[in-house]
Amino acid sequence: MAPPPPQPLASKERSLFTQVVKNYENKQYKKGLKAADQILRKSPDHGDTIAMKALIINSQGNSEEAFALAKVALKNSMKSHVCWHVYGLLYRSAKNFEEAIKAYKFALKLEPESQQIQKDLALLQIQMRDYQGYLQSRRAILQQRTGWRQNWTALAVAQHLAGDLANAERTLTTYEETLKSPPPKTDTEHAEAILYKNSIIAEMGETERALEHLDAAAKNNPDRTSVMELRAQYLLNLGRKEEAAKAYHLLLKRNAEYRAYFEGLEEALGLDKSNVEELTKLYGDVAKDNPRGDAATRIPLEFLEGDEFREAADQYLQRMLHKGVWSTFNNVKALYSDSQKRDTIQDLVEGYAAGMLNTQANGSAERQINGDSDLFTPSVRYFLAQHYNYRLSRDLPKAMKYINEALSSAPESVEYHMTKARIWKHYGNLQKAAELMEEGRTLDVRDRYINTKAAKYQLRNNENKAAIQNMGKFTRNEALGGPLGDLHDMQCVWYITEDGESYIRQGNLGLALKRFTSISTIFEIWQEDQFDFHSFSLRKGQIRAYVDMMRWEDHLREHPFFTRAAVSAARIYVVLHDQPDLAHAKMTNGVNGEKMDSAERKKAQKKAKKDQEKQAKEEAERKDSKKPGAVDQNGDPKKEDKDPKGEKLLQTSEPLVEAMKFVTPLLEFSPKNIKAQQVGFEVFLRRKKYLLALRTLLASNALSSSDPTTHEQAIRLGHTFRTQTEPPDRKVQEVIAAEFDPVLPATADLSKHNDDFLQKHHMSAPHVQACLKVRQLLDPSSSDKNQQDVIRTLALEGSSLEDAVRGLELLKEWKAKDQYRDDYLAAAHERWPEATALKKKGD
Amino acid sequence: MAEPQPSSVHEGMDREDPAPLPTSAEDRKAAAAMSSLERRGGDDDDAATKPNKEIDQEALGKAISRLELADKAGTVAAGEKKTKEKEEVEKRAKIKVDQADVTLLVEELDLTKGKATELLKANDGDAVKAMRGFVMLRIHNLTLDRMLITSKEVNGESEEVPQAQTEGL
Repeated sequence: MAPPPPQPLASKERSLFTQVVKNYENKQYKKGLKAADQILRKSPDHGDTIAMKALIINSQGNSEEAFALAKVALKNSMKSHVCWHVYGLLYRSAKNFEEAIKAYKFALKLEPESQQIQKDLALLQIQMRDYQGYLQSRRAILQQRTGWRQNWTALAVAQHLAGDLANAERTLTTYEETLKSPPPKTDTEHAEAILYKNSIIAEMGETERALEHLDAAAKNNPDRTSVMELRAQYLLNLGRKEEAAKAYHLLLKRNAEYRAYFEGLEEALGLDKSNVEELTKLYGDVAKDNPRGDAATRIPLEFLEGDEFREAADQYLQRMLHKGVWSTFNNVKALYSDSQKRDTIQDLVEGYAAGMLNTQANGSAERQINGDSDLFTPSVRYFLAQHYNYRLSRDLPKAMKYINEALSSAPESVEYHMTKARIWKHYGNLQKAAELMEEGRTLDVRDRYINTKAAKYQLRNNENKAAIQNMGKFTRNEALGGPLGDLHDMQCVWYITEDGESYIRQGNLGLALKRFTSISTIFEIWQEDQFDFHSFSLRKGQIRAYVDMMRWEDHLREHPFFTRAAVSAARIYVVLHDQPDLAHAKMTNGVNGEKMDSAERKKAQKKAKKDQEKQAKEEAERKDSKKPGAVDQNGDPKKEDKDPKGEKLLQTSEPLVEAMKFVTPLLEFSPKNIKAQQVGFEVFLRRKKYLLALRTLLASNALSSSDPTTHEQAIRLGHTFRTQTEPPDRKVQEVIAAEFDPVLPATADLSKHNDDFLQKHHMSAPHVQACLKVRQLLDPSSSDKNQQDVIRTLALEGSSLEDAVRGLELLKEWKAKDQYRDDYLAAAHERWPEATALKKKGD
Repeated sequence: MAEPQPSSVHEGMDREDPAPLPTSAEDRKAAAAMSSLERRGGDDDDAATKPNKEIDQEALGKAISRLELADKAGTVAAGEKKTKEKEEVEKRAKIKVDQADVTLLVEELDLTKGKATELLKANDGDAVKAMRGFVMLRIHNLTLDRMLITSKEVNGESEEVPQAQTEGL
């Protein structure tokens, strides 16, 4: 197509065009549209104006129309950089960064002098981690405007991120050398650039030079903490221990609560945990200088042993408990991994409770019988309640006794209520736990912490409505969708996750998927959020923080929050693949689906589907009648949620493809999480990607070869290979033979292998359950025996409540006879009489 | 309280502040402020509206020319690198890759065609070797990491992990 001739505008239209651009920049969209239409009336084919119009329409939220217009604009003026630039901007707002980069590059070719395009391109390149491209763009920008420091710094950052540290340093030095006189102390950009350069030198491994540079250039740097910390670190790395010790002493003078300083000092003095005497003196000195401090008295509890530990712990605990420090237990519970220390602490505090203060082995412990003694007794009770509630020292009846004593003297205490709720939670009685937490909440309705806790406990007890109501007490309630919408806006990840998990327990997979998908979206937003900082941080000169942020973003999805939601979501998709019926919502709830014959089921399905359609129609009508009036903070219209119940997510025709959207990032960023590997296995096995399944299996096996699920999956993979009708490609077989054999030889008898494993781990409920699952798979006729054996796992000494719940799930999965199920529940109920999850229906 | 508190310390929450509004309101304001900065700063930034007067223009000119030299040096160095890379590429180009193998890897390992070809070339075109490497790749790292993890666990800071009852679905 031959490009149409350019159309110069008359002067009046030209000024109008400037007006349009200004209106767009000031977000006066209506005015802008009006002016644009005015130009188009005179010259309807003017590409730049059409492009601007597209941009405005896009900002108003109509992306499709905008793209259509932009294409018209491009057709009219292929050679206009404005049109290409706009095209790129549209792609960028649609988050199609690759296309956006292409469009920008084209615009730049047409108008190499445009700084705006150059800059937009650079931002996208670094967002996409195109380091080489970014480097080029940054160089071009610098050459256009050499007098701006941030352009130099930006080039250095580009070189740094691209891995060219030496040139990054050279760039920064080159700029420094152009300065006629040293910048004033108040020039924070300069100060930050100095430390940034220092960090680059250190990163190159040239510690000696980094230290010299630090001493020479950063003497008066306003970021004194960093300078002192770096100095101490460098000295330590260089083995100049005496000076390092001095440097750490100085740091401790500024902050005697920071463990890293103590660790540095210990290393500088060449002390390890066995030099008890020297360490005691060291910490004693610091403690003397900081009588109100915690770290110097708390850390010695980690290296002291025996009687010395007893004495120090006695002093520490008495001091804290006399002061009524709420967090005393939390401060010491890390010591409990050493069972001796745990017992000593228990002994000591029980002693306080029994009023044996005077007969305590040491008289040196400071005792104050003045005004604070009234704090002491309740603190001791509170401590013991938490102590007996803690995983490593659990004795729930005792915990309950102490918290009740504490409550009787202070019935209004929010904290005591929280602890009591927690004790109920560990009993497994989620209902009482939620009730107590709620009771505590009403004692101080302005306490956000307990409000949050109450909501969480309600979710654990599947009271989603009550929970959201509580959360709503602290949100603005302006967002679409009420408090839940607020929580999404505020990216309240914990709530959304707990809500989703609660829906799984209730069998509402649609809403569960909906929540987990929201989590994934929130992580996407976090990824997106860095965009603003590519220019903001440079302008503010906060370079070190910027580089930290970039590195953090690169590992964003490692976060446990993401892992947790993604594993759950992938599991749901696996279930959906196995039982496609579940997609029709109403069928899922409870047992009713299980015992119908196929004709009845079909009928019920039809009815459910009809109901669903009817409901959807009604909802649609309701929505139509409602005016879409909601706007967000910036006055942009809000997008309405078209699938509030997650039904569309549920009805996906390709659950395994959807699952991969979670599995891929999981395996990339959290390969060390065994649950991630295991859920990956489930997906790959169903997709018949045997090598990938094998890969995840080998990974879980490397992480924990005795893991029950790993065992189960290994046998299932072996079973699949033995029973499949079409053997895989010869080469694939060869790989399997080579890599799978060490885990489970192809010649092995699977049943025997399973029995051996069972023999080895017959005292552990999760292992026994896994073996029973395998037995059921290999020999369906063993069903009765398996169900009886599951009941037996309840009697195992180490069985936990979670194991018991899993056993119940297993029976459900096997569609066990009512008799076995009742037996199981009866036995479980005897062992965990309080557990809500194990109550019989109707109890 | 056991010890006299400094006068600047107040116990509890400031009761003067009645609004338990979400902090997000603050955040939003901050975000709005930032985005407006962003817009204004689009081209001419507050600090950058005028170039630094303290800069020695002559030195700047030199610096730039040096930068360009460095660039050229960089490109020369890169050029050397490139020739090396080129050799590598040529070497790799010589490795013959069976298209059937590429298809196999794409199918079995969820790879793109490009990645599959690369993997095959890295393994001298041997599909079995390539697939074995892929399947085993991370195990070594994992075992190493596991040692680190367990040593951390022994030190014992691990908190109770809230056990959600979602295990079995």
